[in-house]
Amino acid sequence: MPSILSVENIEAGYSDVIIVHNVSITVGEGEIVAIVGPNGSGKSTLLKSLLGFAKLFQGQVFYQGRDVTGMAADKLVSQGIGYVPQINNAFPNLTIAENLDMGAYHSKGKASIKSAMGEIYNMFPELKVRKNFLAGNLSGGERQMLAIARAMMAQPKVLLLDEPLASLSPKPTSVIISKLENIEKAGTAIVIVEQNIKKALSISKRGYVLIDGACAMEGDADSLFTEESSRLRYLGLEAKGN
Amino acid sequence: MTVNWAQVLFNSTITGSLYLIGAVGLTLTYGLSRFPNFAHAEFITLGAYIGYSVAEQAGLGFPLALVVSFLVTGIVGILCYRGIFQPLAKRGATIIHLMVASIALGFILRYSIGATWTWKPLYFTTTWSAFNIGPLRITGLWVWLILTAIALAILMHFILVKTKIGKAIRATSSNPELALASGINVDRVILITWFIGAGLAAFAGIFRGADTQIWPLTGWDIILPIFAVTILGGIGNFYGAIVAAFIIGLAENVGVVGLIALGLSTSYRIGIAFLILIITLIVRPEGLAMLFRRA
Repeated sequence: MPSILSVENIEAGYSDVIIVHNVSITVGEGEIVAIVGPNGSGKSTLLKSLLGFAKLFQGQVFYQGRDVTGMAADKLVSQGIGYVPQINNAFPNLTIAENLDMGAYHSKGKASIKSAMGEIYNMFPELKVRKNFLAGNLSGGERQMLAIARAMMAQPKVLLLDEPLASLSPKPTSVIISKLENIEKAGTAIVIVEQNIKKALSISKRGYVLIDGACAMEGDADSLFTEESSRLRYLGLEAKGN
Repeated sequence: MTVNWAQVLFNSTITGSLYLIGAVGLTLTYGLSRFPNFAHAEFITLGAYIGYSVAEQAGLGFPLALVVSFLVTGIVGILCYRGIFQPLAKRGATIIHLMVASIALGFILRYSIGATWTWKPLYFTTTWSAFNIGPLRITGLWVWLILTAIALAILMHFILVKTKIGKAIRATSSNPELALASGINVDRVILITWFIGAGLAAFAGIFRGADTQIWPLTGWDIILPIFAVTILGGIGNFYGAIVAAFIIGLAENVGVVGLIALGLSTSYRIGIAFLILIITLIVRPEGLAMLFRRA
């Protein structure tokens, strides 16, 4: 499978503190890749560093074979890389429709934006019925859905999701997972950073396990999940009762 | 003492209109750039002088003075942001650094204006028709001022709610990082906002200058109530600023009546805005923002 996004030997962090150490990741076209690991392992920092929201000390980022290291986040979005932060991922003072409008900011022409919005409303009918509601009034699950929908408005070829299932109860978690599967079926690659290891690996094709900022394991999601050593040593599933 | 309350209310509307025109730019740039730009006072002053030059020295009239002054001061606003505040912000300057830089810029602009036009007060010679409606004494300038404020409120509402750039301004003000992650060119949005903000400050300067006088402290004279409007309305909140402008306009004019009744100088009127600013910061630091969540 040709790679759509690859990051090589990334070292990233904040101020002068390096949190992510020499991590390399490859994402194929249309596949879901999970980056899992315990709290504080550098998963979110890795994602943020790709868009310039965390400091990139070293390494390179390639998108569709082109070096996009250090490119501004708004340019990356226009190139086809979507990003959904873990928190503060919707504009609370804007309505749902306006949030979606902002997702298509770089798109030219009202017709293409209208068409993209139509597709998004088909994918997220829950948002259409409340399109004039302020995002600040939405529940956690609805807001997460809006955040993903906003990123999808730019019609990305790869979508970077930072803990989309965090703090969600089981029902909205299932809804979000089903939406992600639909997005994958539509051909968009997804990188999902999650602490909910079981859920993340269950929808992913491949995965990476980050421990203390370094890549401890990588491979097929199934093998990562079933491998006894990883379950015990890294994923901590027994300890969490999963 | 007999008080003409109708006139007091009308004067409050005039004062509120002036403060609104002056505060819209300040609140929007404050919300986006995350620091209080004290040089906004000098944008007001510069606008007044450019307006004076166009209307009086070039003899091109008041309407053209408004247009030219808006454009020139708007460009000065862009240059100040690009040349000073943006580089500082990109190098990690805090709100204190940026605020002090704006005070320094204000001094430079103020004394440059004084050196260019001298410190002697200047007056618009345009004569405005004056007429009475019932108990109200009204001048053409005041009508212009109020209509401009109303037009500004309607236009800004349209821009902020209906246009792409307006929604981007609200989005960037709410969450600049998410705005970037949405593909919004945040730098361009901030530049446009500085252009509009400085341009509107020029409008306030012209109206203030036409109503009183023009001198290098024209903007400084009204910057405190304009900051009070910005704080009371909720930083970055345009709709809050509309209400706050008229609250402060009313408080000032009713306060003047009170000062006269107490036998005190009306020059204490500026203290009323200061009092409101302090009370707001203590009691409700977010101002009226919660009432206007869509801003």
